[in-house]
Amino acid sequence: MREVRILVVDDEPDIRATVSAMLEIEGYAVAEAANGADALHAIAQRPPDLILLDMRMPVLDGWAFASELRRRGHETPIVVMTAARDAARWATEIAAAAFLSKPFGYDDLIHTVQQVQSPS
Amino acid sequence: MTAIELISLVNQLLFVGLFVVVAWRAVRARSRATFDTALLFGSIAAVLGISRLAAAAEIVESAAIIGVLLLLLNLAPYAMLRLVDDFSGTPRWVQVAGAAAYLIVAALGFTFQVAPQLVELATIAWFVAVGGYAATAFIRESGRTRGITRHRMTAVAAGVILFIGAIVTVLTGALVAPANPVIGILGQVAALAAVLSFFGGFAPPSWIRRVWREPDLRNFIERSIHVVSIADDRRAIVELQQAAAAAFGATGASIGLADEQNGRLRYPDAGSGWLEYPDGQFIAGQAYRQQHRVVADDAITADPDHADVYAQNAARAVIAGPVTAGDRRIGVLAVFAERAPIFVEDDLWLLELVADQAAVLLEARMLAADESRLRGREEAARLKEEFLSAAAHDLRTPLTVVLGQAELLERRLARDPDARIDQAGVSRIAGEARRLRDLISELLDAQRLEQKGAIGERTRTDLRLVIDAVRGRHLEHDLSLEVAEPSGPIVCAVDRKRIEQVVDNLVENALKYSAEGALPEIELTTDGTDARISVVDHGIGIPEAERIRIFERFYRATNAQSITDTGMGLGLYICRRIVEEHDGRIWVEPTPGGGSTFVVKLPVAGVTRDPAVEAAVIEPETRPATGPATEAMADA
Repeated sequence: MREVRILVVDDEPDIRATVSAMLEIEGYAVAEAANGADALHAIAQRPPDLILLDMRMPVLDGWAFASELRRRGHETPIVVMTAARDAARWATEIAAAAFLSKPFGYDDLIHTVQQVQSPS
Repeated sequence: MTAIELISLVNQLLFVGLFVVVAWRAVRARSRATFDTALLFGSIAAVLGISRLAAAAEIVESAAIIGVLLLLLNLAPYAMLRLVDDFSGTPRWVQVAGAAAYLIVAALGFTFQVAPQLVELATIAWFVAVGGYAATAFIRESGRTRGITRHRMTAVAAGVILFIGAIVTVLTGALVAPANPVIGILGQVAALAAVLSFFGGFAPPSWIRRVWREPDLRNFIERSIHVVSIADDRRAIVELQQAAAAAFGATGASIGLADEQNGRLRYPDAGSGWLEYPDGQFIAGQAYRQQHRVVADDAITADPDHADVYAQNAARAVIAGPVTAGDRRIGVLAVFAERAPIFVEDDLWLLELVADQAAVLLEARMLAADESRLRGREEAARLKEEFLSAAAHDLRTPLTVVLGQAELLERRLARDPDARIDQAGVSRIAGEARRLRDLISELLDAQRLEQKGAIGERTRTDLRLVIDAVRGRHLEHDLSLEVAEPSGPIVCAVDRKRIEQVVDNLVENALKYSAEGALPEIELTTDGTDARISVVDHGIGIPEAERIRIFERFYRATNAQSITDTGMGLGLYICRRIVEEHDGRIWVEPTPGGGSTFVVKLPVAGVTRDPAVEAAVIEPETRPATGPATEAMADA
């Protein structure tokens, strides 16, 4: 079976590290980016199968990143990770596949990722 | 009936009618002026009545009757003389001489049959002298007054002149050309004009009153309408007072606002504050308590307890009335003047209208204030909401790390109880837990500082000690801050711990946003009235458009977010609140050559300052920038 690649985009290094560690335990291949601009760069190098995206970030935030991604023709599913209360609304706004409200735990993360990966 | 008989009959009816009106008023409102008015028209009416009766009884030629008639007729000028005194005051000797002259002229009347021409000459002289004097006085008085009083005074003066003219014409005619009918007609016509003028002066019908009063009321409405839009209560009341005084042509007016709960009235004072008195105090307070108008021709006699206040305000006469809107008691309006009102019922009528108009304006102001209070409460609720939501947001991020890392450890241990401890994961948990603790205490601190009086006891403190303490704490971390301070103490009354917190916070910020090893400097200076603590850094600086907003709650400079995302944007807000609670100011200016300089200005203890000057001096840096700041807000 082909390895599933996930890109974690968040400006908080500790969040990236935590999320990455959880995904790696479950056998995903993880790449990290600190903001939208870095993420676009990483995607150009090697497109992932799924993007975990923080919304409030310096340089290029979640909205700008998502619209730029779609403009470039990438259909990669996005999972929004946000500490804001209206996570669901934002997910709809950028046509994300799902959302995770911070703080989320191990099971929340893995279930959401699995759901998006293989919608049954 | 001939024309002259008809005019004569009309005249007689009008004079008697006027007498009835003024006599009735004299009974209802007893004063010297109403009595003298009744005396004037009483004498004329009596002359007319007695002559009619005498003519009917055909006893005209009786010496006694003629004497009585002359006695009554000559009483009219004497009553006029007394009215002059009532309206504008005359020297005492004028009154005494007038009374003596009247007695002589009246006594002469009983010698009519002996020397009729002498008596007639004496009567003419008496009328011309006293009538002329009275007319002059009334004309002068009308020039001094305004509004309806002026109109009425002019009518009185015209009445006096015409009446004198009529009497003199008839008496002169009897002397010179007894048989000439033209003189009789002239006399009757002049008398008719006189009685009509007197009606205008002493008992004007209501439609004339309305016409004469209208300009005063219009004047008041025009002058006072804008008080609805004046934000400051005190200024609005002062303007209303001035408009009321102008409408009355009075020396001044005073408006007291009622506080029904504690039964007090507050009046604007001469300075910038309010004077509060229990209701019932002063003539105005009495009018408020009785909810009825009060007239005091002599305020000092009426309310001797406050004689000094009335004297100070040149308030010899005071009229006061309640200001009410429906059942609601808003306050009281008092108008004061150097002299008692001449036609008090007109002034009371105007007082009532002005008070009603004032009530409408004050009510409108209160509604506007209620609305802005409501808006203020909504704004406070919105801020609270924003605060909670921002707080929740900032707490969730570290909590994500704590929860995720803890669950990771849990799983690893479950899989393999002997697994090596994930050192980095444990450090992350500890680090984020500390961050949570700091955020929460920052949050609580900011919340506490929202309320006034969050500052502890202020003690006289040498600010050099504050700076030494901050410097000492950084020395423990091997950071040697450069400090420039004077050799003598700079003493301010401060909550020392709070001011240390401010300086600590500014130094922490400076370190955070400066390159590694670039230390901030602290400067302490004073100009005698204020102390300034400046924290000078050479870091990334703050974009000009954001130099005010960074002191707002939850605001973080755009270029600060890329450096560290650990703050909630409350640090500078907390600093600002602390400094403001100390009556100081905080602002930021660029450091020449790059970086930011945060300046804290605190008042030096024991220096008296003029609040007006204080308010006028606004630091240029703290003045709200209009353009860029507003745009930034719209973007946020």
